[in-house]
Amino acid sequence: MQSENLLLSVEGLSVRRGNMTAVQDVSFSLAAGVDMAIVGPNGAGKSTLVQAILGLLPHHQGEIKWFGQRLHAPSSSSQQRAARLFHQGVAYLPQNFLVDARIPMTVGELVGLGWDRAGLQLPWQGWRDRRRAVHQALDRVEASHLSRQSLGSLSGGELKRVLLAYCLVRPRQLLVLDEAPAGLDFSGEAEFYQLLGKLKREQGWSILQISHDLDMVRENCDCVLCINRRLLKQGAPTDVLHPDTLYEAYGYEAYGQPQLRWRA
Amino acid sequence: MSIDWPNFWALLQLPFMQRAIWGSLILGTTGGLLGSLVVLRQLSFFGDALGHSALLGISLGLLLGLSPQWTLLPFSLLLGLVIMVLLSRAKLWPDAMLNIVYSTSLALAVIILSFIDQYKGGLSNFLFGDILAIQPSQLYANALLLVVCLGALGLTLRQQMLLTLNRAFAQIQGVPVERYQIMTVMLLSLVVALSIQMIGVLLVSAFLVIPPCTARLLSDRFTLYVPLSIGLGGASALIGVLLSALLDLPSGPTIVLVQFMAFLGAMVLPRSRSSARA
Repeated sequence: MQSENLLLSVEGLSVRRGNMTAVQDVSFSLAAGVDMAIVGPNGAGKSTLVQAILGLLPHHQGEIKWFGQRLHAPSSSSQQRAARLFHQGVAYLPQNFLVDARIPMTVGELVGLGWDRAGLQLPWQGWRDRRRAVHQALDRVEASHLSRQSLGSLSGGELKRVLLAYCLVRPRQLLVLDEAPAGLDFSGEAEFYQLLGKLKREQGWSILQISHDLDMVRENCDCVLCINRRLLKQGAPTDVLHPDTLYEAYGYEAYGQPQLRWRA
Repeated sequence: MSIDWPNFWALLQLPFMQRAIWGSLILGTTGGLLGSLVVLRQLSFFGDALGHSALLGISLGLLLGLSPQWTLLPFSLLLGLVIMVLLSRAKLWPDAMLNIVYSTSLALAVIILSFIDQYKGGLSNFLFGDILAIQPSQLYANALLLVVCLGALGLTLRQQMLLTLNRAFAQIQGVPVERYQIMTVMLLSLVVALSIQMIGVLLVSAFLVIPPCTARLLSDRFTLYVPLSIGLGGASALIGVLLSALLDLPSGPTIVLVQFMAFLGAMVLPRSRSSARA
């Protein structure tokens, strides 16, 4: 992989949660336009890994680089610039995005917050450009009609579409999904992936997604990380989603259970 | 109850009354502004606890022979930070933790005040406040605080919106989450400390809670909710202080009742939530 194409590189990352090492010595890199999946059993440290990369959790060892510049411990001005670019270029869809219906916020307002850049600004600054960007983003996910609706009144599927609009309201390079379609029914999940695929092609996003759906990973992802606290294997889906690796990750007892959706 | 209009107009011309009008307007506006975030972040009990604990700051000042207004401000700021640290370190429920802090502070304050005989008469001033007794220096300090709140919250409002909705989203977008949380608590401590002498420790949280709740009932949009809360805070304080002068009622409690009437009005307003959202 050419280093100039590298969006994100993770080197020897270890994360502790309490007294336990939740992620140990994980290294991988992600190039522009690549769709990478992270698979592994429950408690394997997938969400912890992703949250450490995003800076939501501290890591105690290793380095995370964005376009070759170290993140989350910015000391020099170039590292601060890298951190700024990272914040501008990354969006995250968590497993459960809980909306407190008591918070007064419309769909249009939420999507507009995705357009803002960090830093001090007057509330009305750039409102025309923001409004145009929000309108276009909602249009792309076919949710223009929801613009004035309160977030608390959305269905699960509508909320996922609105969150995708939040991600695409301004150009980003990387989308991080932590089991994003969780909570949707079968058809809702299929619709979500269809929309995600379309937007990925349009926007040229790289995707780093945690998934338990190995069929989806096999069909849609370019490469896979299989982890169980440490990195077991990385590579193309056909190599990684191999019985030997899956046995090692999930254990013999789990093999064959329907939720793995494993096909030999 | 008869209203003496000529006397009322004459009263409005008096300097202390004009200071009270400006003071209540400034205080109501500040409360509505800061309270709009305080309520959504579920910090209203935090403000209440700060208010009740302020009595300890006052009693410490009296014990040291200092004017309470000099000890109250640093005490409230320090207490705000201490409570923040306690809430993040102790794995206990926030309301229980706040209860422990303010009950202990109140107990200590009452014990200290029991040694200061000459102060007993002034205690009710700090419990219920007196807007009519506001001094020019207090008025300027409150005006300055309003400007600070407007600047700090106005320039960070959009990031505060994201932080209020989802902490992880805010962090990933590069919002300095902890700095903003400390800033909110510091502003809350300042507002509570400065407003206590006007409305007292018992009613201070009403200024931070009732107008934002009324605004929330009237709006589903964040960008409308905040100005509504500011407007309702300022208007109800102004109407309250004028009513108190007109009807010769205690000013702080009258303002709170006006705030409550507005809240009641918003509650019974014929506007279904579902249709408002559609």
